[in-house]
Amino acid sequence: MIRWLTLLLWLFPPAFRERFGAEITEQLREDWAAARTRRLAALPSVLSAALDLIGAAVAEHFRPSFRSTRRSAGGGIMRWLRDGWIQDLRHALRALRRTPGFTLVAVATLGLALGVNAGIFSIVDAVLLRPLPFPQPDRLVYIGGTAPGSDLPSEFDLPSEFFLQYRDQSKLLQGLAPYEDFTNTLRVGDRAERVRMAVSTASLFPTLGAAPVLGRVPVAEDEDRVAVLSHGLWMSWFGGDTAVIGRSYYIAGEQRTVVGVMGPDFRFPRDGVTLWITAVMRPEDIRPGQFGMALVGRLRPGVTMPDLERELGPLAQRLPERFGGSPAYAELIAKHRPVVRALEEQLVGRVAGPIWILFGSVAVVLLIACANVGNLFLVRAERRQRELAVRRAIGAGRLQLFRAQITEALLVALLAGALAMVLAWVSVPLYLRFVPPDVPRVGDVAVRWSTLVFTGVASALAALLCGALPAVRASEPSLDRLRDGSRGSTARRHWARDGLVVAQTALALVLLTGSALLFRSYQRMRHVDPGYSTRDIFTFQIAPEGEHLKDAPSYASFHLAFAERLARLPGVQSVGIVDHVPLNEGLADGRFLPAERAGETDGGVRLGFNSVAGDYFSTMGIRLLAGRAFTDADQRTELGHVIVNRSAANLLWPGQSPVGRRLKREEIPVWETVVGVVEDVMQDNFRDPAPPAVYYPLVGQPPADWIVSSPAYVVKTSRAETIAPEVRALVREVSPGAPMYRTYTMAALADESRLPLAFTMLTLGVISLLAVILGTVGQYGVLSYIVAERTREIGVRMALGAEARRVQGMVVGQGARVLLVGVAVGLAAAAASTRALRSLLFGVEALDPATFAAVAGGMVLVGLLAAYLPARRASRVDPIESLRGE
Amino acid sequence: MSHISSLEYHVLLALAAAPLHGYAVKQRVEDESDGSLTPQPGSLYRVIARLMGSGLVAETDPKGPVPPHPGLSRRYYALTAAGRRTLAAEARRLKEAAALAEKRLRTARS
Repeated sequence: MIRWLTLLLWLFPPAFRERFGAEITEQLREDWAAARTRRLAALPSVLSAALDLIGAAVAEHFRPSFRSTRRSAGGGIMRWLRDGWIQDLRHALRALRRTPGFTLVAVATLGLALGVNAGIFSIVDAVLLRPLPFPQPDRLVYIGGTAPGSDLPSEFDLPSEFFLQYRDQSKLLQGLAPYEDFTNTLRVGDRAERVRMAVSTASLFPTLGAAPVLGRVPVAEDEDRVAVLSHGLWMSWFGGDTAVIGRSYYIAGEQRTVVGVMGPDFRFPRDGVTLWITAVMRPEDIRPGQFGMALVGRLRPGVTMPDLERELGPLAQRLPERFGGSPAYAELIAKHRPVVRALEEQLVGRVAGPIWILFGSVAVVLLIACANVGNLFLVRAERRQRELAVRRAIGAGRLQLFRAQITEALLVALLAGALAMVLAWVSVPLYLRFVPPDVPRVGDVAVRWSTLVFTGVASALAALLCGALPAVRASEPSLDRLRDGSRGSTARRHWARDGLVVAQTALALVLLTGSALLFRSYQRMRHVDPGYSTRDIFTFQIAPEGEHLKDAPSYASFHLAFAERLARLPGVQSVGIVDHVPLNEGLADGRFLPAERAGETDGGVRLGFNSVAGDYFSTMGIRLLAGRAFTDADQRTELGHVIVNRSAANLLWPGQSPVGRRLKREEIPVWETVVGVVEDVMQDNFRDPAPPAVYYPLVGQPPADWIVSSPAYVVKTSRAETIAPEVRALVREVSPGAPMYRTYTMAALADESRLPLAFTMLTLGVISLLAVILGTVGQYGVLSYIVAERTREIGVRMALGAEARRVQGMVVGQGARVLLVGVAVGLAAAAASTRALRSLLFGVEALDPATFAAVAGGMVLVGLLAAYLPARRASRVDPIESLRGE
Repeated sequence: MSHISSLEYHVLLALAAAPLHGYAVKQRVEDESDGSLTPQPGSLYRVIARLMGSGLVAETDPKGPVPPHPGLSRRYYALTAAGRRTLAAEARRLKEAAALAEKRLRTARS
């Protein structure tokens, strides 16, 4: 205990410590011996002794009570580390206090820049840097597939037979599980809601290495009869009651028994999944090529991802010989290549790009701020040339002068870092409200210790960046300054100062170009015509259940009847029903064969399909191009009528009218007749092209195979924002207990689909605005200083008859030269770096000349304004005054 | 020395009878201030250093038989003549202040 206390002695100045250290130690020891006999009182006495030591040590530095007669031993760095720094610190404090304006501006500038860095870092840290909360997360991989040259998407999840094949035959995998998350009904007593859940096999938990906090994880013998709850669901629905284990609830259409509860950290495959159910996969049930699921695997120790890819390729090639399948399937398998990547990358990689871009941008802002503050320090060092020259002349070493400057920079950065932490702490919670909710792990974002460490390191780097150059300059003051006592009026080339302004201008221009490109993308995206209207449309889903609902026709008549009731609500213009509403759900897809190619074996054309009823097309404003929409008869009885969209028609019957022609979906034995053609609609977002699609009526496909049980409704009404409670009341009346969910206005869905772009655009916009302001302020400051420095020269010129206009031109010209160099460098740098934005851009090239020109022009204008203000001041110099000065 | 603090006064007071080592100073200050002062080592040695710096206290060799403290470094401090004068002056000041206070309280009561 005493040993820890005596460490505090090192805080004292060495002379004091040498003289009194031993005595203080002895006294501490005696006090401790006395205090220990009183047990409880011992701790407070140690604490008060410690506080007293700290206080005394600090006081001793600032108001020494003891002065040694001999100089302390040692030299150089060691001596400085022992006692020199405190002196430097004291000097720096005094120097900064003497120039409060400078200190305020420098601390505020750096603090602001460090603050945005700390804020974005806390997001980078939580979302991107933290490893997945599973043991040895680097051995967890995602396994998918690609089939170059096929009509499949460039990457896809894998059908069940892949899982069985890999599980049974891979020697490099220690565990493997399929997974998929979806929304379905959870019913506990009277409460029934649609919640996010995931399905997997019992192997999921050992593969991830996840253990429950209560109960157990599923085992193979549980088959598909059990569920595991998330911690959040357990707390919110069951109040954390441990008796939940062993009880059965209605989950996703079945009674399932709760066997375990996971810890709060367990989130898989994404945030918001509230429970996990199990599925069984038996080789005898496999229909090859159906229903892809993502796979998660755990590599055996020492196995790399390329190793696994090399092993899985041949395993996939042997699928047809084990599971059979159509010739088209065999053809696909021949093109199939496994895709293996780190699970973490799969889960968070989607958002990594934009977040890194923002992090890079705030780093640029910090650079600009450093350039800015560096310039302030330079100017300050110039002003103090005489003082520094005097100090040098009376024997201060260069190192000493250098150190003094660097210490000032460090002190400024330290204060700025503290300011930054406060800014981050206040602003991050506000900022998080604007972060798109689908960013993984965004709930973990907070200002933490790691943020503090980062800010500390960033502050130190910033101090070196903005302090080093001025410190070098300050350490070699020109002794000429002493000779004539003048401040010097010759304009020496200040390459350092100009260089910093060039850097600031260029960096600000890069950021501004990036955000201008995003802004134009956003503008373009807002004007995209997705093929449907998003105005005045309310949408929701319901999931009715009941004895009378057993097949497609019974569900169809329930929903048609409900749509009629809805249409009678006041203010409702029309009501439509759709299985997959655009912007909320993707389409299912399958292979379709036109009757003209009935004999072919290639499986046909891959198209999306959807089911619609009611006035869907007119409600959504989707144009009917040919034929007719579905009638009520189409919906209730199986007439085999379908509608195709324009792209599907072009793929199936290029250049011909599709109405009256027939097609069939692979695996379904019935031929359907096309009765109408509608315009394409963008299904997933405003970015991806509209998929070719086939629309079925609700009852459309053979009833046993395809039941549309919980479709979405679209309601055209001017009261789209407020109608939800009335609809809810109607649901309660018609089908009590049916959860109503996914309630949105189409306008809100449209906003949400643009949110990732809007978010990045707004953030980068604010960041680049900050950059431009800092850059301009820096440029203004430098010119102002130059004008002040050249007051005498300007006075002489004016006394000799120079016009105010010429003087203005001279100053603006000096600013403009530096500005133009900065803009030129910035344009080149922007051209090299906007490529990083390419995945975010929409409808505009990364090198869009108009944007580049506009940004450069704007930058020049702002820069000239920043130059004009000091120029005007210069032109008002009173020649007499300026010459009388000094 | 224009003004001395309460702790400085008590340190001087403690050393008035005989030279003492640091820990004894601390104990005596505690006793003589009726426990109102419990000097912690950091503050105590700053006060001793300051008193030494202003010439009121000096380090001295212990007189008489010194109790053995193996392995311990004990230094003894004594009042200088200046210290003695300062103590006397301070005591006088305190006495006058006390007398003034008593007088004022008496007149206030009557």
